[in-house]
Amino acid sequence: MAYHLLQRDHEGAQRLASSLDYALQHIRHCEKCNNFTEEVVCELCRSHHRDAALLCVVEMPADLLMMEQAHCYKGMYFVLMGRLSPLDGIGPREIHLDRLLKRTQDGLVKEVVLATNFTVEGEATAHYIGELLHDKGLKITRIARGLPVGGELEHVDSGTLAQAVIERREM
Amino acid sequence: MIVDKQRQEAQPAFVLHTYPYRETSLVVEAFTLNSGRVPLLAKGAKRPKSALRGLLRAFQPLQLSWGGKSELRVLYKAEWQGGLPPLQGTSLICGFYLNELLMRLLHRNDPHEQLFVYYQDTLAALSTHEDYMPILRGFELRLLQELGYALTLDHDVTGKPINSPSDYCYEIGRGPVKLEENDCSQGLRLSGTTLLDMGRGDYSSAATRVQSKILMRYVLNHYLGDQPLHTRQLLKDLQQL
Repeated sequence: MAYHLLQRDHEGAQRLASSLDYALQHIRHCEKCNNFTEEVVCELCRSHHRDAALLCVVEMPADLLMMEQAHCYKGMYFVLMGRLSPLDGIGPREIHLDRLLKRTQDGLVKEVVLATNFTVEGEATAHYIGELLHDKGLKITRIARGLPVGGELEHVDSGTLAQAVIERREM
Repeated sequence: MIVDKQRQEAQPAFVLHTYPYRETSLVVEAFTLNSGRVPLLAKGAKRPKSALRGLLRAFQPLQLSWGGKSELRVLYKAEWQGGLPPLQGTSLICGFYLNELLMRLLHRNDPHEQLFVYYQDTLAALSTHEDYMPILRGFELRLLQELGYALTLDHDVTGKPINSPSDYCYEIGRGPVKLEENDCSQGLRLSGTTLLDMGRGDYSSAATRVQSKILMRYVLNHYLGDQPLHTRQLLKDLQQL
Protein backbone atom coordinates (compact mmCIF):
# COMPACT_ATOMS: atom_id res chain seq x y z
CA MET A 1 0.00 0.00 0.00
CA ALA A 2 2.84 2.39 0.89
CA TYR A 3 4.45 1.96 -2.57
CA HIS A 4 1.13 2.41 -4.35
CA LEU A 5 0.38 5.64 -2.49
CA LEU A 6 3.85 7.06 -3.08
CA GLN A 7 3.90 6.19 -6.76
CA ARG A 8 0.35 6.69 -7.97
CA ASP A 9 -1.86 8.40 -5.44
CA HIS A 10 -0.34 11.43 -3.73
CA GLU A 11 -3.74 12.95 -3.09
CA GLY A 12 -5.00 9.77 -1.41
CA ALA A 13 -1.84 9.61 0.68
CA GLN A 14 -2.41 13.19 1.81
CA ARG A 15 -6.02 12.45 2.74
CA LEU A 16 -4.95 9.35 4.69
CA ALA A 17 -2.21 11.29 6.48
CA SER A 18 -4.53 14.14 7.49
CA SER A 19 -7.26 11.70 8.62
CA LEU A 20 -4.78 9.89 10.81
CA ASP A 21 -3.47 13.19 12.11
CA TYR A 22 -7.02 14.37 12.87
CA ALA A 23 -7.81 11.11 14.66
CA LEU A 24 -4.68 11.32 16.76
CA GLN A 25 -5.48 14.93 17.73
CA HIS A 26 -9.19 14.56 18.46
CA ILE A 27 -10.08 11.01 19.42
CA ARG A 28 -9.96 10.13 23.08
CA HIS A 29 -11.61 7.75 25.51
CA CYS A 30 -15.17 8.43 26.70
CA GLU A 31 -15.17 9.27 30.39
CA LYS A 32 -18.00 6.84 31.06
CA CYS A 33 -17.63 3.85 28.74
CA ASN A 34 -13.94 4.15 27.81
CA ASN A 35 -14.78 3.72 24.10
CA PHE A 36 -13.18 5.95 21.44
CA THR A 37 -14.98 9.25 20.95
CA GLU A 38 -14.35 12.85 19.89
CA GLU A 39 -16.29 14.14 22.88
CA VAL A 40 -15.83 13.97 26.64
CA VAL A 41 -18.84 11.67 27.00
CA CYS A 42 -19.86 9.73 23.89
CA GLU A 43 -23.26 9.86 22.22
CA LEU A 44 -24.30 6.41 23.43
CA CYS A 45 -23.55 7.28 27.07
CA ARG A 46 -25.52 10.58 26.75
CA SER A 47 -28.59 8.89 25.26
CA HIS A 48 -31.82 9.01 27.32
CA HIS A 49 -33.23 6.01 25.48
CA ARG A 50 -30.88 3.53 27.05
CA ASP A 51 -31.28 1.63 30.31
CA ALA A 52 -28.80 3.07 32.81
CA ALA A 53 -29.40 0.14 35.19
CA LEU A 54 -27.59 -2.25 32.82
CA LEU A 55 -23.87 -2.13 32.18
CA CYS A 56 -22.33 -4.50 29.66
CA VAL A 57 -18.57 -5.11 29.82
CA VAL A 58 -16.87 -5.93 26.51
CA GLU A 59 -13.22 -6.32 25.56
CA MET A 60 -12.95 -4.19 22.41
CA PRO A 61 -14.89 -1.50 20.49
CA ALA A 62 -15.60 -4.09 17.75
CA ASP A 63 -17.41 -6.21 20.37
CA LEU A 64 -19.62 -3.24 21.25
CA LEU A 65 -20.50 -2.82 17.57
CA MET A 66 -21.47 -6.49 17.33
CA MET A 67 -23.68 -6.16 20.41
CA GLU A 68 -25.39 -3.17 18.84
CA GLN A 69 -25.87 -4.98 15.52
CA ALA A 70 -27.60 -7.84 17.35
CA HIS A 71 -30.31 -5.39 18.61
CA CYS A 72 -30.59 -7.42 21.81
CA TYR A 73 -29.39 -4.98 24.41
CA LYS A 74 -30.51 -1.50 25.41
CA GLY A 75 -28.22 -0.78 28.34
CA MET A 76 -24.89 1.00 28.71
CA TYR A 77 -21.38 -0.30 28.02
CA PHE A 78 -17.90 -0.35 29.39
CA VAL A 79 -15.09 -1.14 26.93
CA LEU A 80 -12.01 -2.63 28.60
CA MET A 81 -9.76 -2.06 25.56
CA GLY A 82 -8.16 -5.42 26.25
CA ARG A 83 -8.38 -8.39 28.53
CA LEU A 84 -6.41 -9.96 31.34
CA SER A 85 -3.65 -12.02 29.81
CA PRO A 86 -1.38 -13.19 32.60
CA LEU A 87 1.18 -14.81 30.31
CA ASP A 88 1.58 -11.57 28.35
CA GLY A 89 1.92 -9.55 31.54
CA ILE A 90 -1.45 -7.82 31.13
CA GLY A 91 -2.96 -7.56 34.59
CA PRO A 92 -5.83 -5.65 36.24
CA ARG A 93 -3.83 -2.39 36.24
CA GLU A 94 -3.17 -2.51 32.50
CA ILE A 95 -6.87 -2.73 31.62
CA HIS A 96 -7.95 -0.05 34.14
CA LEU A 97 -10.35 -2.15 36.17
CA ASP A 98 -10.32 0.62 38.79
CA ARG A 99 -12.20 2.79 36.28
CA LEU A 100 -14.75 0.04 35.72
CA LEU A 101 -15.26 -0.28 39.49
CA LYS A 102 -15.84 3.49 39.71
CA ARG A 103 -18.23 3.38 36.76
CA THR A 104 -20.42 0.75 38.45
CA GLN A 105 -20.73 2.89 41.58
CA ASP A 106 -22.82 5.69 40.02
CA GLY A 107 -25.94 4.57 41.92
CA LEU A 108 -27.83 3.78 38.71
CA VAL A 109 -26.19 0.53 37.60
CA LYS A 110 -28.00 -2.50 39.00
CA GLU A 111 -26.72 -5.29 36.78
CA VAL A 112 -23.32 -5.85 35.19
CA VAL A 113 -23.40 -8.11 32.12
CA LEU A 114 -20.00 -9.71 31.46
CA ALA A 115 -19.61 -10.13 27.70
CA THR A 116 -15.87 -10.80 27.50
CA ASN A 117 -14.81 -13.44 25.00
CA PHE A 118 -15.04 -17.17 25.67
CA THR A 119 -11.31 -17.60 25.41
CA VAL A 120 -9.34 -18.62 28.50
CA GLU A 121 -8.22 -14.98 28.85
CA GLY A 122 -11.78 -13.69 28.48
CA GLU A 123 -12.94 -16.16 31.12
CA ALA A 124 -10.16 -15.08 33.49
CA THR A 125 -11.18 -11.45 32.93
CA ALA A 126 -14.84 -12.23 33.68
CA HIS A 127 -13.86 -14.11 36.84
CA TYR A 128 -11.66 -11.26 38.07
CA ILE A 129 -14.36 -8.64 37.44
CA GLY A 130 -16.90 -10.90 39.15
CA GLU A 131 -14.68 -11.01 42.25
CA LEU A 132 -13.96 -7.28 42.04
CA LEU A 133 -17.67 -6.40 42.01
CA HIS A 134 -18.68 -9.06 44.52
CA ASP A 135 -20.46 -7.63 47.58
CA LYS A 136 -21.02 -4.29 45.86
CA GLY A 137 -24.80 -4.80 45.77
CA LEU A 138 -24.86 -5.49 42.03
CA LYS A 139 -26.26 -8.37 40.06
CA ILE A 140 -23.44 -9.92 38.02
CA THR A 141 -24.33 -11.96 34.93
CA ARG A 142 -22.31 -13.68 32.22
CA ILE A 143 -23.60 -14.07 28.65
CA ALA A 144 -24.39 -17.69 27.77
CA ARG A 145 -22.46 -19.89 25.37
CA GLY A 146 -23.33 -22.95 23.32
CA LEU A 147 -24.28 -23.92 19.81
CA PRO A 148 -24.77 -21.10 17.32
CA VAL A 149 -28.36 -20.29 16.35
CA GLY A 150 -29.22 -22.40 13.29
CA GLY A 151 -26.15 -24.51 14.06
CA GLU A 152 -26.14 -28.22 13.43
CA LEU A 153 -24.35 -30.66 15.72
CA GLU A 154 -22.74 -32.25 12.69
CA HIS A 155 -20.84 -29.08 11.81
CA VAL A 156 -19.93 -27.67 15.19
CA ASP A 157 -16.42 -28.00 16.67
CA SER A 158 -15.88 -30.49 19.49
CA GLY A 159 -14.91 -27.86 22.06
CA THR A 160 -18.14 -25.91 21.60
CA LEU A 161 -20.24 -29.06 21.65
CA ALA A 162 -18.51 -30.40 24.78
CA GLN A 163 -19.10 -27.08 26.58
CA ALA A 164 -22.74 -27.02 25.50
CA VAL A 165 -23.25 -30.51 26.95
CA ILE A 166 -21.52 -29.54 30.22
CA GLU A 167 -23.69 -26.41 30.50
CA ARG A 168 -26.94 -28.06 29.37
CA ARG A 169 -30.07 -26.77 31.05
CA GLU A 170 -33.28 -28.27 32.26
CA MET A 171 -36.42 -27.65 30.21
CA MET B 1 12.15 -42.32 -0.14
CA ILE B 2 12.76 -39.27 2.02
CA VAL B 3 11.28 -39.61 5.46
CA ASP B 4 10.44 -36.34 7.16
CA LYS B 5 11.69 -36.88 10.69
CA GLN B 6 10.20 -33.60 11.80
CA ARG B 7 6.72 -34.77 10.98
CA GLN B 8 4.64 -35.77 13.98
CA GLU B 9 1.24 -37.38 13.87
CA ALA B 10 -1.46 -37.15 16.53
CA GLN B 11 0.78 -36.34 19.48
CA PRO B 12 -0.94 -35.82 22.82
CA ALA B 13 -0.51 -32.13 23.62
CA PHE B 14 -1.73 -29.09 25.54
CA VAL B 15 -1.73 -25.49 24.39
CA LEU B 16 0.30 -23.40 26.86
CA HIS B 17 -0.12 -20.04 25.16
CA THR B 18 -0.95 -18.51 21.78
CA TYR B 19 0.25 -15.34 20.07
CA PRO B 20 -1.42 -13.66 17.12
CA TYR B 21 0.62 -14.00 13.93
CA ARG B 22 -0.16 -11.82 10.91
CA GLU B 23 -3.85 -11.17 10.25
CA THR B 24 -5.42 -14.58 10.71
CA SER B 25 -2.80 -16.97 12.11
CA LEU B 26 -1.57 -17.97 15.53
CA VAL B 27 1.71 -19.14 16.96
CA VAL B 28 0.90 -21.87 19.46
CA GLU B 29 3.30 -22.77 22.25
CA ALA B 30 2.36 -26.40 22.82
CA PHE B 31 3.47 -28.81 25.53
CA THR B 32 3.58 -32.20 23.86
CA LEU B 33 4.15 -35.71 25.19
CA ASN B 34 7.10 -36.74 23.01
CA SER B 35 8.65 -33.44 21.92
CA GLY B 36 8.23 -31.28 25.02
CA ARG B 37 7.51 -27.61 24.42
CA VAL B 38 7.28 -26.79 20.70
CA PRO B 39 6.24 -23.62 18.86
CA LEU B 40 3.74 -24.33 16.07
CA LEU B 41 2.31 -22.08 13.39
CA ALA B 42 -1.47 -22.49 13.10
CA LYS B 43 -2.23 -20.98 9.70
CA GLY B 44 -5.56 -19.22 9.41
CA ALA B 45 -6.58 -20.30 12.92
CA LYS B 46 -8.32 -16.96 13.55
CA ARG B 47 -10.55 -17.19 10.48
CA PRO B 48 -14.24 -17.60 11.36
CA LYS B 49 -14.51 -20.92 9.54
CA SER B 50 -11.16 -22.41 10.53
CA ALA B 51 -11.35 -25.98 11.83
CA LEU B 52 -8.73 -25.03 14.41
CA ARG B 53 -10.79 -22.21 15.86
CA GLY B 54 -12.24 -23.19 19.22
CA LEU B 55 -9.89 -26.16 19.50
CA LEU B 56 -6.63 -24.43 20.31
CA ARG B 57 -7.57 -23.65 23.89
CA ALA B 58 -5.33 -24.00 26.89
CA PHE B 59 -6.04 -26.68 29.53
CA GLN B 60 -7.74 -29.08 27.12
CA PRO B 61 -6.17 -32.38 25.98
CA LEU B 62 -5.57 -32.36 22.23
CA GLN B 63 -3.82 -34.44 19.62
CA LEU B 64 -1.68 -32.30 17.35
CA SER B 65 -0.05 -33.15 14.03
CA TRP B 66 2.66 -30.98 12.55
CA GLY B 67 5.47 -30.93 10.05
CA GLY B 68 8.06 -28.69 8.43
CA LYS B 69 11.76 -28.08 8.72
CA SER B 70 12.07 -24.59 10.17
CA GLU B 71 12.09 -24.01 13.93
CA LEU B 72 8.49 -22.89 13.71
CA ARG B 73 6.76 -26.07 12.52
CA VAL B 74 3.40 -25.91 10.79
CA LEU B 75 0.41 -27.33 12.63
CA TYR B 76 -1.91 -29.04 10.19
CA LYS B 77 -4.31 -30.91 12.39
CA ALA B 78 -5.72 -30.64 15.90
CA GLU B 79 -8.10 -33.12 17.44
CA TRP B 80 -10.12 -32.64 20.57
CA GLN B 81 -9.58 -35.37 23.17
CA GLY B 82 -11.85 -34.05 25.91
CA GLY B 83 -12.32 -35.69 29.27
CA LEU B 84 -11.08 -32.78 31.38
CA PRO B 85 -13.68 -30.46 32.88
CA PRO B 86 -12.86 -26.84 31.94
CA LEU B 87 -11.04 -24.80 34.58
CA GLN B 88 -13.10 -21.99 36.00
CA GLY B 89 -12.61 -19.15 38.44
CA THR B 90 -9.55 -19.36 40.67
CA SER B 91 -8.62 -22.79 39.31
CA LEU B 92 -8.33 -21.15 35.88
CA ILE B 93 -5.86 -18.60 37.25
CA CYS B 94 -3.93 -21.50 38.87
CA GLY B 95 -3.84 -23.13 35.43
CA PHE B 96 -2.26 -19.99 33.98
CA TYR B 97 0.31 -20.19 36.78
CA LEU B 98 1.28 -23.75 35.74
CA ASN B 99 1.54 -22.63 32.12
CA GLU B 100 3.68 -19.63 32.98
CA LEU B 101 6.06 -21.88 34.94
CA LEU B 102 6.30 -24.29 31.98
CA MET B 103 6.79 -21.45 29.50
CA ARG B 104 9.54 -19.95 31.59
CA LEU B 105 11.38 -23.07 32.74
CA LEU B 106 11.08 -25.67 29.96
CA HIS B 107 13.49 -25.51 27.05
CA ARG B 108 12.00 -26.00 23.60
CA ASN B 109 12.09 -29.47 22.05
CA ASP B 110 13.18 -31.04 25.33
CA PRO B 111 10.79 -33.94 26.08
CA HIS B 112 9.46 -34.47 29.61
CA GLU B 113 7.03 -37.36 29.29
CA GLN B 114 6.45 -37.92 32.99
CA LEU B 115 5.94 -34.22 33.62
CA PHE B 116 3.39 -34.16 30.79
CA VAL B 117 1.37 -36.89 32.52
CA TYR B 118 1.72 -35.10 35.87
CA TYR B 119 0.57 -31.82 34.27
CA GLN B 120 -2.54 -33.54 32.93
CA ASP B 121 -3.29 -35.03 36.38
CA THR B 122 -2.70 -31.63 37.99
CA LEU B 123 -5.24 -29.96 35.67
CA ALA B 124 -7.75 -32.69 36.52
CA ALA B 125 -7.13 -32.14 40.24
CA LEU B 126 -7.52 -28.34 39.88
CA SER B 127 -10.88 -28.76 38.17
CA THR B 128 -12.28 -30.94 40.94
CA HIS B 129 -10.66 -29.77 44.21
CA GLU B 130 -11.27 -26.57 46.13
CA ASP B 131 -7.96 -26.52 48.01
CA TYR B 132 -5.49 -25.51 45.27
CA MET B 133 -2.47 -25.03 47.46
CA PRO B 134 -1.30 -28.66 47.88
CA ILE B 135 -1.88 -29.22 44.15
CA LEU B 136 0.32 -26.26 43.20
CA ARG B 137 3.07 -27.26 45.67
CA GLY B 138 3.04 -30.82 44.32
CA PHE B 139 3.40 -29.54 40.75
CA GLU B 140 6.23 -27.16 41.62
CA LEU B 141 8.17 -29.96 43.36
CA ARG B 142 7.65 -32.30 40.42
CA LEU B 143 8.64 -29.66 37.88
CA LEU B 144 11.91 -28.92 39.71
CA GLN B 145 12.61 -32.65 39.97
CA GLU B 146 12.09 -33.10 36.22
CA LEU B 147 14.42 -30.20 35.48
CA GLY B 148 17.12 -31.80 37.63
CA TYR B 149 16.74 -29.40 40.57
CA ALA B 150 14.90 -31.74 42.95
CA LEU B 151 14.56 -30.50 46.51
CA THR B 152 16.01 -32.60 49.33
CA LEU B 153 13.29 -33.04 51.92
CA ASP B 154 14.19 -36.18 53.90
CA HIS B 155 17.82 -35.67 54.93
CA ASP B 156 20.18 -32.80 55.61
CA VAL B 157 23.44 -32.01 53.79
CA THR B 158 25.40 -34.38 56.05
CA GLY B 159 23.06 -37.26 55.17
CA LYS B 160 21.28 -37.38 58.53
CA PRO B 161 17.49 -37.79 58.48
CA ILE B 162 15.49 -34.60 59.00
CA ASN B 163 14.55 -34.15 62.63
CA SER B 164 11.05 -32.78 62.98
CA PRO B 165 11.47 -30.32 65.90
CA SER B 166 14.78 -28.87 64.61
CA ASP B 167 15.17 -25.81 62.44
CA TYR B 168 17.03 -25.92 59.14
CA CYS B 169 18.51 -23.46 56.71
CA TYR B 170 17.58 -24.47 53.15
CA GLU B 171 20.40 -23.65 50.75
CA ILE B 172 19.71 -23.84 47.00
CA GLY B 173 21.89 -26.43 45.29
CA ARG B 174 22.88 -28.01 48.63
CA GLY B 175 19.76 -28.75 50.66
CA PRO B 176 18.78 -28.39 54.32
CA VAL B 177 21.57 -27.46 56.74
CA LYS B 178 20.76 -28.08 60.40
CA LEU B 179 20.81 -24.77 62.26
CA GLU B 180 23.23 -24.88 65.15
CA GLU B 181 23.56 -21.15 65.47
CA ASN B 182 21.12 -18.62 64.17
CA ASP B 183 22.97 -17.83 60.99
CA CYS B 184 20.96 -18.52 57.82
CA SER B 185 22.24 -15.78 55.53
CA GLN B 186 22.94 -18.25 52.70
CA GLY B 187 19.48 -19.78 52.64
CA LEU B 188 15.95 -19.84 53.98
CA ARG B 189 15.08 -20.77 57.53
CA LEU B 190 12.31 -23.32 58.07
CA SER B 191 11.30 -26.16 60.38
CA GLY B 192 12.07 -29.84 59.95
CA THR B 193 8.34 -30.52 60.20
CA THR B 194 7.72 -28.50 57.03
CA LEU B 195 10.36 -30.45 55.09
CA LEU B 196 8.95 -33.81 56.23
CA ASP B 197 5.35 -32.72 55.55
CA MET B 198 6.28 -31.57 52.03
CA GLY B 199 8.04 -34.89 51.40
CA ARG B 200 4.83 -36.70 52.33
CA GLY B 201 2.57 -34.25 50.48
CA ASP B 202 0.79 -33.42 53.75
CA TYR B 203 -0.30 -29.77 53.83
CA SER B 204 -2.78 -30.00 56.69
CA SER B 205 -0.70 -27.91 59.10
CA ALA B 206 -1.03 -24.12 58.83
CA ALA B 207 2.70 -23.63 59.50
CA THR B 208 3.61 -26.07 56.71
CA ARG B 209 1.31 -24.25 54.30
CA VAL B 210 2.98 -20.90 54.99
CA GLN B 211 6.58 -22.17 55.08
CA SER B 212 6.27 -24.42 52.00
CA LYS B 213 4.92 -21.50 49.98
CA ILE B 214 7.84 -19.30 51.02
CA LEU B 215 10.34 -22.09 50.28
CA MET B 216 8.94 -22.79 46.81
CA ARG B 217 8.89 -19.10 45.97
CA TYR B 218 12.48 -18.77 47.16
CA VAL B 219 13.70 -21.73 45.09
CA LEU B 220 11.65 -20.91 41.96
CA ASN B 221 12.77 -17.27 42.00
CA HIS B 222 16.35 -18.51 41.92
CA TYR B 223 15.74 -20.45 38.69
CA LEU B 224 13.39 -17.89 37.13
CA GLY B 225 15.84 -15.02 37.42
CA ASP B 226 14.89 -11.37 37.77
CA GLN B 227 11.61 -11.31 35.90
CA PRO B 228 8.69 -11.93 38.28
CA LEU B 229 5.84 -14.32 37.49
CA HIS B 230 2.81 -12.35 36.25
CA THR B 231 0.32 -15.00 37.36
CA ARG B 232 1.66 -14.95 40.92
CA GLN B 233 0.86 -11.22 41.08
CA LEU B 234 -2.61 -11.86 39.64
CA LEU B 235 -3.34 -14.55 42.26
CA LYS B 236 -2.18 -12.11 44.95
CA ASP B 237 -4.40 -9.33 43.55
CA LEU B 238 -7.38 -11.72 43.51
CA GLN B 239 -6.85 -12.68 47.14
CA GLN B 240 -6.77 -9.04 48.16
CA LEU B 241 -10.14 -8.19 46.56
